[in-house]
Amino acid sequence: MKPVFKGILWALLGVILGVALLVVIRLAFGLPAWKAGPAVVMGYLFGLSGWLLGVGVWDYWARGWLGRPNKPYTTTGWRRYFDFDTDHKVIGIQYGVLLVVLFLIAGLLAMVVRYELMRPGRDLLNSAEYNTMMSLHGTTMVFVAVATIMGAFGNYLVPIMVGADDMAYPRLNALSFWFVPPVGILLLGAALAGGYDTGWTGYTPLASLTRMGAMFYNLAFLTIGFSSILGSINIITTVITMRAPGLTWGRLPIFVWSILGTAALSMLFTQFVGLAMIMTILDRVAGFSFFDPARGGNPILYQHVFWFYSHPAVYVMILPAFGIALEIISHFARKPLFAYKWAVAGMLGVVVMSAIVWAHHMFTAGLEEKLAIPFMISTELISVPTGMVFLAALGTLWHGRLNLKTPMLFALAVIFNFLIGGITGVFLSDVPVDMHLQDTYFVVAHFHYTIVGGGIFGLFAGIYYWFPKMTGRMYNEKLGKLHFWWMFLGFNFTFLPMFWLGINGMNRRIADYMPQLGGLNMWVSMAAFFLGASFIVFVYNMVVSWVRGEQAAANPWGARTLEWLIPSPPPLHNFPGAPRVLDDPYGYGVPGAVHARVAPAPAPAPASD
Amino acid sequence: MNRDGVIVTILWVAMTAIGEWLAVTARIMPLGAAEQAAVIDEAFTLLLVLAVPVATLVLAFFFYSILRFRAKDGDSEDGPPVRGNNALALVWVLGSLILAVYIIFNPGLKGIRELEASQGADLVIQIEGVQWHWNVRYPDYDLSYDRALQIALPVDTRVRFDITSQDVLHSVWIPAFRMKMDAVPGRVTTLYVTPNKVGDFSMDPNLRVQCAELCGTGHPLMRMDVRVLEQDEFQEWIQEAREQAMGGGMEGMDMSGEMGGEMSGEGMSGQGADDSAKESK
Repeated sequence: MKPVFKGILWALLGVILGVALLVVIRLAFGLPAWKAGPAVVMGYLFGLSGWLLGVGVWDYWARGWLGRPNKPYTTTGWRRYFDFDTDHKVIGIQYGVLLVVLFLIAGLLAMVVRYELMRPGRDLLNSAEYNTMMSLHGTTMVFVAVATIMGAFGNYLVPIMVGADDMAYPRLNALSFWFVPPVGILLLGAALAGGYDTGWTGYTPLASLTRMGAMFYNLAFLTIGFSSILGSINIITTVITMRAPGLTWGRLPIFVWSILGTAALSMLFTQFVGLAMIMTILDRVAGFSFFDPARGGNPILYQHVFWFYSHPAVYVMILPAFGIALEIISHFARKPLFAYKWAVAGMLGVVVMSAIVWAHHMFTAGLEEKLAIPFMISTELISVPTGMVFLAALGTLWHGRLNLKTPMLFALAVIFNFLIGGITGVFLSDVPVDMHLQDTYFVVAHFHYTIVGGGIFGLFAGIYYWFPKMTGRMYNEKLGKLHFWWMFLGFNFTFLPMFWLGINGMNRRIADYMPQLGGLNMWVSMAAFFLGASFIVFVYNMVVSWVRGEQAAANPWGARTLEWLIPSPPPLHNFPGAPRVLDDPYGYGVPGAVHARVAPAPAPAPASD
Repeated sequence: MNRDGVIVTILWVAMTAIGEWLAVTARIMPLGAAEQAAVIDEAFTLLLVLAVPVATLVLAFFFYSILRFRAKDGDSEDGPPVRGNNALALVWVLGSLILAVYIIFNPGLKGIRELEASQGADLVIQIEGVQWHWNVRYPDYDLSYDRALQIALPVDTRVRFDITSQDVLHSVWIPAFRMKMDAVPGRVTTLYVTPNKVGDFSMDPNLRVQCAELCGTGHPLMRMDVRVLEQDEFQEWIQEAREQAMGGGMEGMDMSGEMGGEMSGEGMSGQGADDSAKESK
């Protein structure tokens, strides 16, 4: 049976088994048989296990544990993308397509939210519906921002860039991907189960008291967390152990460094949001009181545990985008990456410092007064390593020979947008100023400038940059540029005014606001619709080019990292023979400088009579 | 310095001049009606003044490079093999470090100290958030009313809000005062304000208490007017309010009542509840 169908079937069996088990246990304890909350949890845990087993864990893994031979893998062609395929290139595309689709859906939710916000009063949605749309938009986008560059481009490119034929743990890689479709189902389920009011941050006590949709959100976050952790382990092991001969740390492409730093954060911190989700679920369904003050709990504890992950998470969102931007800037300026070591140090500095800034999300939460100060200090200092990335970008552009094709335009936009996003973060890090701006549209503007302006523009830079490599075809350059300018203008017109709205008294997550702000909100909504429409150009370009685009050469950009030395798209095991790395990939301007040589395929064995 | 460097520097200086002029003359902040607002607005302006040269430095190099160093079509030659400049990098990093440390002290620690210095409790008001309204108590005046639609504060008085919640997180934010503090169930949080301008919501919509922590479906409507009154008017207000609250009447002064018609029945049904509450339109 096709793996996806088998997965769905076994998932349904799992749900039934889980619920049945719950009923039996409850009856054995003399409780009424059915309770919705625990039923959802048990059903989901068994259902998820069934799904993973059915989609491939059983056939390609678990059978071996029981002494039976694993099923041989024989799928070819387009069907591989719907199978438990362990080729990192297939998995990269699976991640990329699924998450970009989720991105577009979450974008549609934003259009609905902005429609409601066009006018001050209530228009289309009641409050519960609005809160749900807004929460789903945020939740889905956060998952996309955290997972996409690493899942799609990390998986596809890192093995190739280090000269390997696959990731260290190919089956684990496939498993990490197949955690993601259930997340989509859960988010849909959240909407169908009544929605939820908490935003993507899921603060308690509201999260354990509000409608059932909140628990679907908790389970979704937990699930994608598993995927992140497994993926990070794979990346780190691959980069440490599978680098080709000659690829020393000092010659590693900056994109690989950025993914490595991201993986370190993901691997070490994701557990905390998992914990926050589990604690919320336990409060809701099992009578725990982590966050119930009436029974000795502390609602603020949730915020600490949640943000201990979720702050490093935003660096998970931006570091890969910085990596892509710096990579593209160097290759499209045909100049070495300026201050490479400082850029690496900056990224690693951000990784380390991101662990000690989390409570800047909590300055108005009711913390013990003096606690705000160390977090203000650490947050203001994190701008220093971040600045090193900007030094590298600007230094590379200076006196370069800039090729302003679509990937480069997006990479440049990352720098421009993040400048605004980053500087506005400094305002928020100042405790007195944050007293006013916390939970306002100033914050909304700040994080859209950093995560979307930086992270998503970086994602699109990567998509256009690596499209020819991954599909073997060129995208349409004119449409690419059109998409860029449309998206860039739409983005800035939408989010720049939000700083003003926040300063002038508009708080977050509300559908009704002061009438005086109606005019500006109308402008923002119109700009948002304009921004949304830009993706039509993108989707059209991607689909038509993938199907009918011009054949792409191995190295259409004249770049130097290893992926450009092999055909487009790369063959199954990437390299005919192990590459030998001679220098870093930024040897522009030095005649004869070479990053690596790809060995020719070993000669076929002579035919014997 | 070569010609490009000179031009970029001129560009930077020009952009900075324009930026700084805008930063100090533009009326960015709305009405400020408390001592604390002045502290916070000053902090904001200082950060803006310091941010401008940083932003313009990046933008000057950025835009100049894009325009000046663009490769002509068909030109696929490499740029110069410049790997870095350790002296420049050191200056860059030290410069950003000095700036970061400076703003920690000013307006960071300085602002915090100024806010602390403005704290006082000449008048204490207790505010309790409940989905989706506020209950207010003036313990000094033996006044309390639920489902509050307004509170009044005497001008030039140090007020302390003792804030708590009955159910989920809420937050007390008065935009005109620039001060915000979450309402947390199970504990009392504190907010200090010293209003220094007479006025009320009809004069400026930022003279309101706005719940600023998402608390469910009634969140946007969880507001109340803030009236800053002269001392004698405040005493009158207290008198009238006590009569209203005592007499149970809710007309005339419009002290309390339902905010918005759609909040009935929505919300939590007790600890550990996992059944969907009915949605109301």
